[in-house]
Amino acid sequence: MDKPELIDRLTTIFRATFDADSLVLTDELTANDVDNWDSLTHMILISEIEKGLDIKFKLKELNKMKNVGALIEIITSKIN
Amino acid sequence: MFSKNIIQRFATMASQFSDRNAFCINETHYTYGDFWTLVSKIRTLLNTLDLVDQKIGLVVNDDLETYASIFAIWMQGMGYVPLHPKYPIERNLDIVNQADLKKVLDSSLNSGYDSSLVVKTIECETLELTTEILKISDDSLAYILFTSGSTGKPKGVQISFKNLDSFVSAFLDTGFELDHTDKCLQCFDLTFDVSVQSFLIPLIHGASVYTIPHDQIKYSYVFGLLDDHELTFGVFAPSMIRLLKPYFEEIDLKKLRYCILTAEASPVDLVKEWAECIPNAQIFNFYGPTEATIYCVYYEVKVNETIKDANGMLAIGKPFKGLETIILDENLQVVEKGNKGELYVSGNQVTSGYWKNPERNEEAFIILDYNGESKKFYKTGDLCLEDKDNDLLYFGRLDNQVKIQGFRIELGEIEFHARASIGGKNAVAFIYQGQTGGNEIALCLEIDNLDKDAILNSLKAILPSYMVPSKVYNLEKFPLNTSDKVDRKQVINLFV
Repeated sequence: MDKPELIDRLTTIFRATFDADSLVLTDELTANDVDNWDSLTHMILISEIEKGLDIKFKLKELNKMKNVGALIEIITSKIN
Repeated sequence: MFSKNIIQRFATMASQFSDRNAFCINETHYTYGDFWTLVSKIRTLLNTLDLVDQKIGLVVNDDLETYASIFAIWMQGMGYVPLHPKYPIERNLDIVNQADLKKVLDSSLNSGYDSSLVVKTIECETLELTTEILKISDDSLAYILFTSGSTGKPKGVQISFKNLDSFVSAFLDTGFELDHTDKCLQCFDLTFDVSVQSFLIPLIHGASVYTIPHDQIKYSYVFGLLDDHELTFGVFAPSMIRLLKPYFEEIDLKKLRYCILTAEASPVDLVKEWAECIPNAQIFNFYGPTEATIYCVYYEVKVNETIKDANGMLAIGKPFKGLETIILDENLQVVEKGNKGELYVSGNQVTSGYWKNPERNEEAFIILDYNGESKKFYKTGDLCLEDKDNDLLYFGRLDNQVKIQGFRIELGEIEFHARASIGGKNAVAFIYQGQTGGNEIALCLEIDNLDKDAILNSLKAILPSYMVPSKVYNLEKFPLNTSDKVDRKQVINLFV
């Protein structure tokens, strides 16, 4: 999967999780920028990404995800 | 005495360990020397304000300035009223008005408060140091915390220096031995009283405090701190531990010596599994309403021995030294051991009352003859039982108060604002088990057509995020019970 396709799929998951139809993903995006992005919705987001992309994150990886860019980097390392 | 037991002790630590870390905030370390200097400058700033009032609002950011402000306020013999930067400004201004605050100390670059109200912490930068240790009255207020209230307005719990000093002494008496090598987690909002234990206890032992930036996802950041920095002391809400559960196999925190669970009931099964992740830690369950200063009852969990529980929730154990607990029935008669009733607490940790709220005080406190003495007891609203070994077991709330992510909320407050947003029609807020296994809030409105976004937006403007429902339903007509009141149970059963 190339990066644009990955971003497309993540955008769908993000929009559904945060109930935000116009959310646009950028590398710099953090929990601070999105309404309702808290511990509980983060947990749901992670589980939806895991299901959607058939991957499994480690807790140590979650802790390093400071923004969406870091999330994409970690996913890329897992699917390629 | 607070000035001797807390302030003098903190000053001694600051001088003895001036080169050691007092705080780690957003990956930056600050020494006791840095912290003491900042405290001393803010004290000078407070002196310039000429405040006749003994309390001040404090915007509680996650930065050194905010923690230093708390100590500066205390060292000047004053109390703080925390205002969360992420809560709606209307709620904070309501607190400012209720508490009659003349000034608000704010370390934010762009303060949301009016210039006549705000004092910017940064103004202390060029000021001299005030280091003298003042004698302060134990009856003065250390803080007022505003908690959710069912009338739609938050209510202020006032805690004096005497209350806080009694708490520290009783807390240490339970057997915690900390020193300057300890690294302690502070993962609670400063609007919640467990935060006070989480920073104060380390700072009177020369230990260091590790905090959570507001823009981080708490559970994964907390794990990062525990793991990367090898923290030795941690206080956790069970709902946060629950979020870590899918990763328990990866977690091995050998350095953690003490683990306190608090803020809500702790499920025994979860605690047993968590215990395997922290093999060298002593685990405690701490119970306490804000009105009795942080914690007042505790139970040590010994994983290899029998663990006492009530409906799968850990026992809360025995009262702190200096506190009395009794269990009464509806007629205020002491129930026999082994029977359930409402828990009442009395002692030096119990607040003198709610801030300017005589009606609530009338309801919440009673004077009882206890062992030949007349004593004031706080009515906790918690259903408890004392077993044959004098351990208390907790069976939940008696009233409409619930805990969400460790925060105590009154569903009535959500209903109040929801009703206001739909022209006074009926609303029922209730708890359901969310996707992650924790408690979440749902709201049902008695209206024909539901504009969910409009309702949620109006609630978000007034309530902190943890009080905003995650599900909203509507019914054309609510079912009524035999006394013609809305049948809450029936409404809830339609959706849960």
